Amino acid sequence: MRVFYATDLHGSEVCWRKFLNAAKFYDADVLICGGDMTGKAMIPLVEDGDGYELTLSGVSQRVGRDQVAEVESQVQRKGYYPVRMTSAQVAELEKDPQKVQTLFTEQMCKTVERWMQLAADKMKDSKVRIFVAPGNDDEMEIDEVIANAPRVELAEGKMIDIGGYEMISSGWANPTPWHTYREAPEEELTKRMQPMLLDIKDMSRAIFNFHPPPFGTSLDEAPALDENLKPLHGGRALRHVGSTAVREAIDKYQPMLSLHGHIHEGKGITRIGKTLAINPGSAYEEGMLLASIITLDPKKGIKNYQLVNG
Amino acid sequence: MATTTTTETPRPTLFLRNATGLVKAWSTFDAFLYAFWSVNLVTLGLYGMSFVYAIPDGQLLLAVLLTGVLVTFLVLTYAQLVSAMPRAGGDYAWQSRILGGGVGFVLAITGWWFTLWLWTPIYANILVVQFFAPLAYTVGWTGVATFFGSKTGVFVSCLIVLAFVSWVITLGMEGYAKIQRFCFWLGMGGLVVMLGILLFSTHQAFIDAFNREAGSLFGATGNAYQATLAASTKGGGPTGVGFGAFGITSTFLLLPFLAFYLLWPVWGATLYGEVRGAKEYRKVFNAMFWGLWVTVALVAVIILLIVKTIGWDFYYAANASYWNSIFVAGAPAPPVGIWPYPVMLAGWLVNSHLFQALLIVVMGLWFFGWAGTLFLSSTRVIFAAAFDRVLPEWAANISAKRRVPYGSLVLMIIPSLVVSAIWAYQPSFQGIFLWATGVIAITFLGTVIAGAIMPWRRKDIFENSPIARFKVAGIPVITITGVVSAIFILFMIAEWSFNAVYGTSFSLNASSPIYFAVTYLVAIAIYVVARVVRKRQGIDLARIHREIPVE
Repeated sequence: MRVFYATDLHGSEVCWRKFLNAAKFYDADVLICGGDMTGKAMIPLVEDGDGYELTLSGVSQRVGRDQVAEVESQVQRKGYYPVRMTSAQVAELEKDPQKVQTLFTEQMCKTVERWMQLAADKMKDSKVRIFVAPGNDDEMEIDEVIANAPRVELAEGKMIDIGGYEMISSGWANPTPWHTYREAPEEELTKRMQPMLLDIKDMSRAIFNFHPPPFGTSLDEAPALDENLKPLHGGRALRHVGSTAVREAIDKYQPMLSLHGHIHEGKGITRIGKTLAINPGSAYEEGMLLASIITLDPKKGIKNYQLVNG
Repeated sequence: MATTTTTETPRPTLFLRNATGLVKAWSTFDAFLYAFWSVNLVTLGLYGMSFVYAIPDGQLLLAVLLTGVLVTFLVLTYAQLVSAMPRAGGDYAWQSRILGGGVGFVLAITGWWFTLWLWTPIYANILVVQFFAPLAYTVGWTGVATFFGSKTGVFVSCLIVLAFVSWVITLGMEGYAKIQRFCFWLGMGGLVVMLGILLFSTHQAFIDAFNREAGSLFGATGNAYQATLAASTKGGGPTGVGFGAFGITSTFLLLPFLAFYLLWPVWGATLYGEVRGAKEYRKVFNAMFWGLWVTVALVAVIILLIVKTIGWDFYYAANASYWNSIFVAGAPAPPVGIWPYPVMLAGWLVNSHLFQALLIVVMGLWFFGWAGTLFLSSTRVIFAAAFDRVLPEWAANISAKRRVPYGSLVLMIIPSLVVSAIWAYQPSFQGIFLWATGVIAITFLGTVIAGAIMPWRRKDIFENSPIARFKVAGIPVITITGVVSAIFILFMIAEWSFNAVYGTSFSLNASSPIYFAVTYLVAIAIYVVARVVRKRQGIDLARIHREIPVE
């Protein structure tokens, strides 16, 4: 059985399409999206006469109505949400963070819904199973959208049997400086994991699909920040920011495989005792789908694995 | 929960929500510091420029400025690559994605792995001539200075460099960055003092000071200043070189000497950031550009002060007499038997051995703030190759307790020990290794070619990057800067290889091209073997960089 694992797509339309196409491209049986599938930014396309004004990647531009759809695709490709609005609406949003939040939630749900439909269209004749476990950057509202999707299974908080291997998933992370949507102290993360861990019958065939990487590995090194969220030493100084709860769980239970994301710079593979732990990293902004392919064998467990830049 | 941000216009152009990784802009100064350290004007600069006496009619100051202009094209190319492919970060990833996995592996592994073994004795030699030897003579420990001139001393200096570099890697980049900052400020303080001494002293004062300390520290008798000039002449060195000497071709021929230090502002091009834009490109560019040009400006000041106080003919003669006494058979030894370290010479203008020793120690921080990064890039490249399954998994192993990357360290240190032993105990082999700079230049060449063709080869990435709008007459700027950089690098590689004026020339070291050709063949062999072995394991290495269709 071949598992394709990617994570931290952050709203990138290109990456989601590649994720779905990966099943055929790599001949995968199972697709797992490790969380953080929603975008971080919203780009206003401001109506101006017969066109729109926008700024993308720091570059201001004006486009005609006939070009606006193409520009919206460019924005989506980067993982941002393009929203057409008037300058009055922009001013209104600027004054009211709550309205911005509401609009974000609306855009996120709308996009995830469209992605779920895309999965249904593309994979309607396929036997490939697709799993998504939302990550700490994903708002709670998207869970329902995923749960209602015909071809995608919501993995959060469940033990799921995939071809004789038991997978448990959680997108919750240890606290970050950004106070995101699914964060909890380490003790609480342990409590969240506990019921799922008890469901596993055979750890030698278990897969942990936990969004934060284990603490103190090469998978959890992120640029050190000061109290104002400014990278120290030009972004070169790295610190371990993974979860100690995840690390303890791996140390204690020694599953066959442990899949992680969260730290985009933490691309790598490491062994923690008997466990192979993987963080494929993320380069969603470049439209590149960083992922891992793991081939599982009923006798050997993990037959082989590979990181790819699709 | 959500926040807004603006660019130039007062109206918000982007709404951000709370999400991991949304950091504030990093400090340009911090990034500048890394670029500035990489083109280290003291350790690499003064060392590299001590060979320019070989082309006496070249105009050094003009050559420094010309190199600065040409390296700026390299900086532009790298800054654009960082902007277009920020997460990729580094020669290996850029080349792999644009030129292909095999090319990326071979060029990166030869440049950042195999070749940095050879840099260990070069670093060690710089440590000896700029720190141990002048310091030992200054405090009267001539035995220590003599020891570091012996074969075992050379080997011990290599061990010291390896120990220091390993310690830095175990310390981690954050810890070392703090040390670098400390070294920068104190080292800059030392440089200001040195420049101040040269500025406020006369040429006659220097002659007197030189004669005094040559006698006091080195036992020289009579007029050591004149004896140094005479030793240079007898050894075939230049005589009576004037600062105004100017030959166009000769000036261009100085460029490969200057590349020894000015080529490296892009050494650490990997930077971090998210939701970036064109502004981010300017930041990356500014950091590397100013790292280069502040160095160029300081070098210009140093050159002019050497002309004023030490004397240009003496500067050339002192270097010529020292190097010729080592490399030219029958050349007489100069009265001051160690490398004419400009810091030491400037310190002699103050008649206090304590002060002189302190100045050497403080200026030694330019070495320790810089040398620690010798293997940092190497370990990253080895990690990346191991994650790509080209190298075995253990190469990326990190110890559980102290988080030491022992796999990659072993791959760096053991060969470096062998190279250091050969360098120390079989000096005839040294010439073979001198072309090491050329290998890194070839790695850079691969990257600038990758940059130049990116708009066509990875159109998807280019057109969606902030650099897509940078065009001149319809040609992408990255193509123009990449081509100019490639021509510049090719010129230097050709000169290093075939012009006997450089110690690296293949005509002087017939085994050198064989050695380096073997390293490329070994890299190719590793890649081919990895492809075959992994294929048997059911892993297709060719698919690592193959793009998944979007539609």
